[in-house]
Amino acid sequence: MAPPAQSQRSPSPSQPSGKGEVSDLKLQLRQHAGSRAPGADDAKRELFKKVISYMTIGIDVSSLFGEMVMCSVTSDIVLKKMCYLYVGNYAKGNPDLALLTINFLQKDCKDEDPMIRGLALRSLCSLRVANLVEYLVGPLGSGLKDSNSYVRTVAASAVLKLYHISASTCVDADFPAILKHLMLNDQDTQVVANCLSSLQEIWSSEASTSEEASREREALLSKPVIYYFLNRIKEFSEWAQCLVLELVANYVPSDNSEIFDIMNLLEDRLQHANGAVVLATIKVFLQLTLSMADVHQQVYERIKAPLLTLVSSGSQEQSYAVLSHLHLLVMRAPILFSSDYKHFYCQYNEPSYVKKLKLEMLTAVANESNTYEIVTELCEYAANVDIPIARESIRAVGKIALQQYDVNAIVDRLLQFLEMEKDYVTAETLIDTSLEFSHVVLVKDLLRKYPQWSHDCIAVVGNISSKNVQEPKAKAALIWMLGEYSQDMHDAPYVLESVVDNWDDEHSAEVRLHLLTAVLKCFLKRPPETQKALGAALAAGLADFHQDVHDRALFYYRLLQYNVSVAERVVNPPKQAVSVFADTQSSEVKDRIFDEFNSLSVVYQKLPPASNVISSVITSHLSAQLVMEFPYKSLGGVIFSQGCILSWPCAFVGKKSKEGMESSSFVLILDLIKGEKSESL
Amino acid sequence: MLQCIFLLSDSGEVMLEKQLTGHRVDRSICDWFWEQTVSQADSTKLPPVIASPTHYIFQITREGITFLACTQVEMPPLMGIEFLCRVADVLSDYLGGLNEDVIKDNFVIVYELLDEMIDNGFPLTTEPNILREMIALPNIVSKVLGVVTGNSSNVSNTLPGATASCVPWRSTEPKHANNEVYVDLLEEMDAVINRDGILVKCEIYGEVEVNSHLSGLPDLTLSFANPSILNDVRFHPCVRFRPWESNNILSFVPPDGQFKLMSYRVKKLRSTPIYVKPQLTSDAGTCRLSVLVGIRSDPGKTIDSVTVQFQLPPCILSANLSSNHGTVSILANKTCSWSIGRIPKDKAPSLSGTLTLETGMERLHVFPTFQVGFRIMGVALSGLQIDTLDIKNLPSRPYKGFRALTQAGQYEVRS
Repeated sequence: MAPPAQSQRSPSPSQPSGKGEVSDLKLQLRQHAGSRAPGADDAKRELFKKVISYMTIGIDVSSLFGEMVMCSVTSDIVLKKMCYLYVGNYAKGNPDLALLTINFLQKDCKDEDPMIRGLALRSLCSLRVANLVEYLVGPLGSGLKDSNSYVRTVAASAVLKLYHISASTCVDADFPAILKHLMLNDQDTQVVANCLSSLQEIWSSEASTSEEASREREALLSKPVIYYFLNRIKEFSEWAQCLVLELVANYVPSDNSEIFDIMNLLEDRLQHANGAVVLATIKVFLQLTLSMADVHQQVYERIKAPLLTLVSSGSQEQSYAVLSHLHLLVMRAPILFSSDYKHFYCQYNEPSYVKKLKLEMLTAVANESNTYEIVTELCEYAANVDIPIARESIRAVGKIALQQYDVNAIVDRLLQFLEMEKDYVTAETLIDTSLEFSHVVLVKDLLRKYPQWSHDCIAVVGNISSKNVQEPKAKAALIWMLGEYSQDMHDAPYVLESVVDNWDDEHSAEVRLHLLTAVLKCFLKRPPETQKALGAALAAGLADFHQDVHDRALFYYRLLQYNVSVAERVVNPPKQAVSVFADTQSSEVKDRIFDEFNSLSVVYQKLPPASNVISSVITSHLSAQLVMEFPYKSLGGVIFSQGCILSWPCAFVGKKSKEGMESSSFVLILDLIKGEKSESL
Repeated sequence: MLQCIFLLSDSGEVMLEKQLTGHRVDRSICDWFWEQTVSQADSTKLPPVIASPTHYIFQITREGITFLACTQVEMPPLMGIEFLCRVADVLSDYLGGLNEDVIKDNFVIVYELLDEMIDNGFPLTTEPNILREMIALPNIVSKVLGVVTGNSSNVSNTLPGATASCVPWRSTEPKHANNEVYVDLLEEMDAVINRDGILVKCEIYGEVEVNSHLSGLPDLTLSFANPSILNDVRFHPCVRFRPWESNNILSFVPPDGQFKLMSYRVKKLRSTPIYVKPQLTSDAGTCRLSVLVGIRSDPGKTIDSVTVQFQLPPCILSANLSSNHGTVSILANKTCSWSIGRIPKDKAPSLSGTLTLETGMERLHVFPTFQVGFRIMGVALSGLQIDTLDIKNLPSRPYKGFRALTQAGQYEVRS
C-alpha cells in the first residue's frame, strides 16, 4: 500500500488544523460518490485513508459522515473495512446520521462473502445507538444461524454488544437461549467460547432481577457443562482456554477423585507456551486443592518449575507479571522455595520494580541452610548504582537477621556497611543495626550468647559522628542507641549534649522526640554527666512548637518531679526480645489476595478497589498495622516496644486511630500503667 | 476484558486508537500515562500494569512504540500483557519491523489486524498463520501480484479454513515446491559471577525454533539424545502431550513457516566458556581498572562477538582506558563498551586504564557490573542433542537441516 501523503505523517504541532482539509475532502468524496469509473475505488481508497488518518490523529471528521456513507457502496473489502471503522467511531455521536448506515450494513449482512457478512454484522452491532436496535435483531438472528463459523463467531459476541445497548431487546429476542444452544453444540470452538463469554456476562447482570438467569448462571458451573468444556479444551484457542479455565476455577467438584481427574486432564496446560494459560491452570489447581493440605503442597511443587521457566522466558513485562504471582506463593509458603533462592537473585539491568520483588522473596526464603549465601548476595547489591535498591537490600539483610539465622555473619555484614562512607548505606544500616543491636543485646541478656557483638557494635557506632548522619531516621536511630547503651559508650552524654545544643537546627520532630528520651535514659544511668543536657533538652522541649515534642517533654518533666524511680521504670524498663515484627502485609490480606490469584490485584499488590474487603481488613488489622509502624517506621516505638507496646490492647489502638490522636503522652501513660502492672507481678 | 488499545510514539503522540467496547476510553488517559513516563525518565521503568485514577493500564514498549491497553474490570493480568506482546509481534512480522513511520504508513492494516485479533475486548486469534490468510502482508510480492491479477485488495477472498479445522495453527494444506524443514537450537546462557569470582548462578534458557515448509498435513517426530537434562519445558500448542510424557518424544503437526516449537531450561551448569576478571583498586582519587578475558573451557567451536560492557559509576569524572585487543568506546551516558570480537589464540585480551574520581572522594564505593556478550555457532552449551527427526505423511523426501547457536543472555560479572 502506498504511504499516505507527507502532510499526515508529521505529528502535532505542525498538524493541519483540519478545517480546510476536511472541507476539501468533503468535495472530493462527493465527486467520487456515485462514480463507477475504473480506478474510482483506488481514488476512494486514498481519500478514505486520509479521512481515517485524520480521525486517528484526533481531528474531528464527523462532518463527512454523509459523504462517507454515500461512498461506501462498493465491492472493495478494504474500502468497506475503513468505512466500518469510520462509522463505528462516529455513529454514537451522530445517531441521526447513523440511520443512513443501517441500510448498507444490513445489505452487507446478506453478502455472499462470509467475511463481509461477519464484518458488517460486527460493525452494525458496534454502532451502539439505542434507537437503532430494532434493526439489529434480524441480522443478528440470522448471523447466529449462519452456515459459516466466522459469522457465528462474530454474532455470538455481537449479542453481548446488543445486550449492553438494550438488555430488554436482547432478552426478548431470546438470544441467550440461542447462545446456550450454540455453546453446547457448535462445531467451532471459537463460537463456543464467544457464546460462553457473552452468556457469563449477560446472566451475571440479569441474575439480580431474574431467577431464571441466576439458575442459568449456576448451570454454567454444573458438572456436565464443565466436563463438556474440559473435554474440548485442546480444541480451543489459547485465549478461549483462559476463559474456560477461569470458569473451571469456580467449579466445586463433588469428591476427590473428580479433583484428580480434572488435574490430570489439565496437567499439560502447565506446559503451554502462553503464560496466561499457564497461570489460569495454576489457579484451577490451587483452588481445587485448597482444602487438601498435602495435595496442595504437591501442587506447589508441581507448579514451581513452570512458573520459574515463565519468569526466565518471555519479555520483561510478562516476567514481572509472573514474578508477582510467584511472590504471592513464596510469601505464602517460603519453605517450599528455599532451595530455589538463586532464581530470585537480581540481574543488573532488571527494572527496579522487579528487583524489589526479588529482594522480598530472598528475604522470605532465607533459612538455616541458605542464609549465608543470600546475605552474601544481598551485600553485593549494597554497592549497586541503583540507590533505592541498595537501601532495600541492606534492609533485607536486617530483616533476615531478625529471623535469627546465622546472626554472627549478619551482624558482621551490617558492621561492614557502617564502615562504608555512603550516607544512605549508613542510614539504613543504622536503623537495621539498631533493631538488630537491641535484639543481639537482648539475646545477650537472655542467653549470654553473643556478648562480643554488642561490644563491637558499640565500638563502631561510637565512631560515627552524629554530624555525619543527615537522614532523620538514621539520626533517630543513632540517638536511640546513644541513650540505650549510654553506660557502655563512653562519651554518650557529651554527644547528646552537643545535639541538644543544636536543638533549633533539628527539623525532624522524630529526632527531637528521640533526643528527649535518649537524654532522659542517659540521665538515669549517668546522672552527673547528663544533668545539664537534660535541663536544656526539657526546656527546649517545653518550648517546642510541635505538640508531641512538647507533650513528651512535659510528661518527662512531671514524671521526674513525681518520682524518679517510676521514671526509670517507664524509660528503662526491663528488656524483652523484639522477636517478631509484623510483616508489611498481614497474612490474612495475603490469603485474600490468594483468592484473587491471576487477577490484576496481584500484579500491583493491592486488593481490588471495588471490594468491600479492604475496610474490613483494615479494621481487623489496624492493631497489627499500628504496632508494626511503631517499632519499624518510627524508632520511637523501639523504645517502647522494649517495654510492652507489642501487646497493645486493640480497643486502645482503635480509639487512638479514630480520634486521630498522635500524642505520644497517651502512649507513655499506657506505658506507665503497664510498668506498674509488671511491677505488681 | 480490554476496553481500548492505544499505540503511542516515542514522543507520547497517539498514533492509533482502537476502542473495543461500548465504554469509550478517553484519550486523556494517554496524557496521564505519558506524564508518568516522563516523570520516570522512560516507560521501561514503569511496571507493566499500572492503576491510574480511572483505569488499569497495561503497557509494553517495543522499539520505541508503547502499546497501551485500558480496562476498568478485573481480568487475568497476563491476558492483557501477553496479548499486547502478541500484537507487537504480529505487527512487527507484518510490517517488517516496528517504528513510528511504518505504523503511520500502514495504519489501515494495523486496524484490520486488531479487528481480527480482538473483539469486544476478548482476544480471538493471534496465530500469525491464520491472520495472514485473512489479511495479506503489505509486501512487494502481494503488490506485484495485485497488479498482475488485477485484484488490488489485500484481503483474501476465502476465509481461512483453519478457523474451523482441528489444527488451528495450520492453514489448510499449503503447497511447497521444495519441501524442507529446519530445526534450530537457540540457547542463551544466563550467569552471575560475584565479587569473589565465584559462579553463583549459571543457567541456560533454550528454544527449539522450527522453520517448516512442508506440503499437506505432515506429522513430525523429534527426539533428543539426552532429554533428561531438561529442567522444565513449554510447548507450542501443536505438540502432543502424551508422547512427551511417556517417551520424551516431540510429536506434532507443525504450523507452516517459522515458529517456536518448545522452550526449556537447563539449570546448574558448572562452567562458562569464557572468563572475565575485572580488578579495581582505588586510592587517592584515582582508580586503576583492569579486565582480563580468556577462554575457560573450550566449547570446540569459535567463540565470537565477545563484548564487555559496563556502566561507569556516577562519581567518575573521566576515564582513560585502552585495550591490547579490540576497540573500547565510552558513550555519553558513561557506558563503556569493549568489543573484542574473536578471542585470539596467542594472547589474552585485556583492558586497562585509570578512572578519575570526583574531587573529595578518596576511594570508589560503587562498583560497576560487567555485562558480557558472546556467540558460539554450532554448539548448544546445555549439551542438548537432537537425535532424530522423522516425517510422516509426506509424499517426497524433504530436506532436513539442523543448526545450533549459543549466546550470552544475562551474563554478568560483578566487581
